[in-house]
Amino acid sequence: MNIWQRMASWRGLIGWLILVTLLALYPYTGLSGSQLFTLSQVFVLVTLASNWNLIGGMTGYVDFGHAVFFGIGAYTMGILVTPVEMAFSPHLTFWQALPFAGITAALFALVIGLPTLRLKGPYFSIAMLGTFVAMREIIRIAAPITGGGKGLDLPPVLDRISDYYFTLALMGFVVAFIWWIRRSEFGATLIAIREDEVGAEMRGINTTQHKIIAFVTAAFFTGLVGGFWAWQNTYIDPDVVFIESRTVEMVMMSMLGGLGTVWGPPLGAVVLYFMRDILWANLLDYHLISLGVLLIVLVLFMPEGILGTLGDRSSTSLLHLWRRERHPSPSNQDSGGNT
Amino acid sequence: MKRLLPLLVLLVALLLTACPSPSTEESATSREESTQTEQQSGAESSSEVKVIRLGAAVSETGKYAREGKDTRQGYETWRKWVNEEYGGIKVGNERYKVEIIYYDDEGDPDTAARLVEKLITEDKVDFLLGPYSSSLTKSTSAIAEKYNKIMIEGNGASESLFERGFKNLFAVLTPAGNYTQSGLKLLADQGAKTMVLAYEDTAFPTSVAEGAQRWAQEYGIEVLAVETYPKDVADVSGIMSKFKDLNPDIFVGGGHFNDALLFVRSAKEINFTPKAMLITVGPSNPEFVAEVGADAEYILGPTQWERTMSWKGPWFGTAEEYAQRYEKLWGEPPTYQAAESTATALALHVAIENAGSLETDAVRQALLDLDIMTFYGPINFDETGKNIAKPMGTIQIQDGKIVVVAPEEAAVAEIRYPMPPWNER
Repeated sequence: MNIWQRMASWRGLIGWLILVTLLALYPYTGLSGSQLFTLSQVFVLVTLASNWNLIGGMTGYVDFGHAVFFGIGAYTMGILVTPVEMAFSPHLTFWQALPFAGITAALFALVIGLPTLRLKGPYFSIAMLGTFVAMREIIRIAAPITGGGKGLDLPPVLDRISDYYFTLALMGFVVAFIWWIRRSEFGATLIAIREDEVGAEMRGINTTQHKIIAFVTAAFFTGLVGGFWAWQNTYIDPDVVFIESRTVEMVMMSMLGGLGTVWGPPLGAVVLYFMRDILWANLLDYHLISLGVLLIVLVLFMPEGILGTLGDRSSTSLLHLWRRERHPSPSNQDSGGNT
Repeated sequence: MKRLLPLLVLLVALLLTACPSPSTEESATSREESTQTEQQSGAESSSEVKVIRLGAAVSETGKYAREGKDTRQGYETWRKWVNEEYGGIKVGNERYKVEIIYYDDEGDPDTAARLVEKLITEDKVDFLLGPYSSSLTKSTSAIAEKYNKIMIEGNGASESLFERGFKNLFAVLTPAGNYTQSGLKLLADQGAKTMVLAYEDTAFPTSVAEGAQRWAQEYGIEVLAVETYPKDVADVSGIMSKFKDLNPDIFVGGGHFNDALLFVRSAKEINFTPKAMLITVGPSNPEFVAEVGADAEYILGPTQWERTMSWKGPWFGTAEEYAQRYEKLWGEPPTYQAAESTATALALHVAIENAGSLETDAVRQALLDLDIMTFYGPINFDETGKNIAKPMGTIQIQDGKIVVVAPEEAAVAEIRYPMPPWNER
C-alpha cells in the first residue's frame, strides 16, 4: 500500500467526521422541531442499516429478522422506565435504562446466534424471520411485564434537540466503527467468511467466533436504537415495535447502497428516505406502488447497489449470498485481500 | 478520488433530506388544500378573511386507509358546513373560515409523529384533530402535549390514553371500557346469568374486554371463561368448541371485522347457540349483513353511533339529517368513524365560540366546561378529556336491518331474545 492509497483510505473517516461535525452545527442555523426530528429519524435509519450490514453485508448472513433486536431494545427500555406499575417496573431514567437495551439485545443475539448462525443462506434468513415473529408473540403473552397487546406507556418527555444529538452521536460512532472494522483484520475475516466459509475455516479461522462477535455487536447497537425509539415514541405495543417493514427496510437500504460496503448502507438509507418523501409528495395515491417498482428495478439492474455499481469491490448482491454455497465466485475472493 | 465519491454523495443527500423535504411535502398538500379553501370561500377570500388552521395526520394509505378515509370525510363534512352554511366560526365579533391541512401518516408511528411535529412547528396550526387508531393517538398526543397544542380526537378509544395526565387531549367517543355496558345491562334485564368472552390480544379489544368483565360483575353475570387469540386469527373453532361445552347465556367476542365473521360461521358450524351473541366490532357495519346473510340475525353489537339513534342537536339537526347530508356529499352512508370525526370538529368549534378566543388555555377551559347535545349524542368532557356523557349504543340485526336496542333513550326497537338455535330458523 503506497502513501497515496494510505491517505486515500483515511479520507473516508476524515470525510465522515467532517460530515458529522457539520451536522452537529446544523441546528444552529435555526431548524424547526420537525426538521430536527426528520433528520434524527434519518440518523436512526442510517445506524440501523449500518448495523445490519455488519452481519448481512460483510459477514454475508442475510438477517431477515434483525428488527427483533430493535424490539428487544425497545421493550427493555419500556419495561425499565414505564411509569405504570407492572409486575416488574424499576422506574429507571433514560440513561440508566439505555445500556440495558443494548446489553439485553446482545445477550439475546448470543443465545439465538449460536444455533442459527450454523444455518446457511436462506435457511438463516428464514430462521431469523421466525425469531422475529415469535418474539412479537412472546411479548404479547408476557402481558404482566410487557403490557401484552395493550402496550406500555413511557414517560411523555420529548426533547427534539437532545434526540438529534443523541442519534447523530450514535450514528457517527457506529459508522466510524464499521469503517474501522472494514479495515481491520477482523473485517477482512468477515469478508473471507462471506466469500468462502469452508475455505476460511481450513485456513485456521475460528469462523463461529467471528460470526458471533459480528452478530452480537450488530445486535447491541440495534438494541440501543430500539431503546431510544421507544423513549421518543412514548408508547410501545407489539404491533408498533415489531413492524415487518422495519426489518425489510434494513435489508432494502443496505442493498440499495451496496451490501458489504461501509458507505453503501448509510447512502441507501438516506436515498430511500428521501425517495419515499418525493414520491409521497408527488404521487400520493401510487407512492407505495411506485416505491416498490423502483426497488425492483434497482435490484434487477443494480444488484450490487449504488456503490457496487460505482465500483466498490467490497460490495456483493443478495443473490450471490444465497447462491454462494453452490457457486463460490472466484472473482470476488480477493476482496478480502487487504489482510 | 474514488473513495471520496460515495462520501460526497452521502453528504449531499443528507443535507438534501433536511432542506427540501418539508417544502416539497408541504407545497403538495397544502397547495391543494388552500385551493380547495379558496374555491369554497369564494373569490374574495385569502388575504382579508381570517382563517383558523387545523391540522390532521390521518391515514390515506396503509392498514387504516379505509377508516382514515371515513375520518377525513367526517372532518370535511364539518368544514364545508362551517365555511359555506354557517359562515365561519364566531370568535368575539369576527368570523373565521376554517382550513384543514391533512397529511397521510401511512398508519406508521414514525411518519405520524413526524407529520404532527411538522403541523405544529412548521404549518403552525392552531389546533390538531386526531389520527385514526389508539396507538397513533398515543404517540402523537405526547407531541401535542409537549407543544401545548390541543388535540381533539374521535378515533382513539383506548382508556389508557387518558391515564397519562395530558391536559390537551380530548375525545368525543365513548371509551373502550364502556363498549359493552348498555348491551350487558339489557341482557341482564332479560335474565342472562352467564357469559363467555373471547378477544383479540391487542390494545383496543383488551380494553373492551376488561370493561366487559367489569360490567358483567356489576350486573351479576358470571364469567365462565375468557380466551384471547392473536391478531389476524384464521380459525376460532377451538375456542368456540370449548365455549359450547360451558353452555353460556351470552357470548361476547371480537377484535376486528373479520373475527366477527369467523365467530358467526364457526358457531353455526359446531351448532353452538348461546342465548345472545354480542360481537364488539362488525355487526354495526352494513357489510356484516352482506357477508353473513341470514345468519347475522339476532347478533348484537355495540356502536358509537347509528343514524337511527334519536340524538338531536342545534348544529346538524338529528342523526338522520346528518346522515343524509353526509350521503349527499360523499355518495355513501356515514360510518360511525365518520360521524365521530364530524362531532370531534364540532366540539372544538363550539368550544372556540364559547371561549371567544383562539388561545389554547381559554379553549381548553371551554372544552372542560362544554356540555352540549349533538346529532352524535351528548358531549361533556371530564378532567382527563374523556366524554363521560355519551352512552354506548347496542344494535341488533333484525330482519336484515341494523336497529338500536339499547340504551333506552336512543333505542328504536325491542331486543329479540333469546336467539333460536341455528337449525330452527
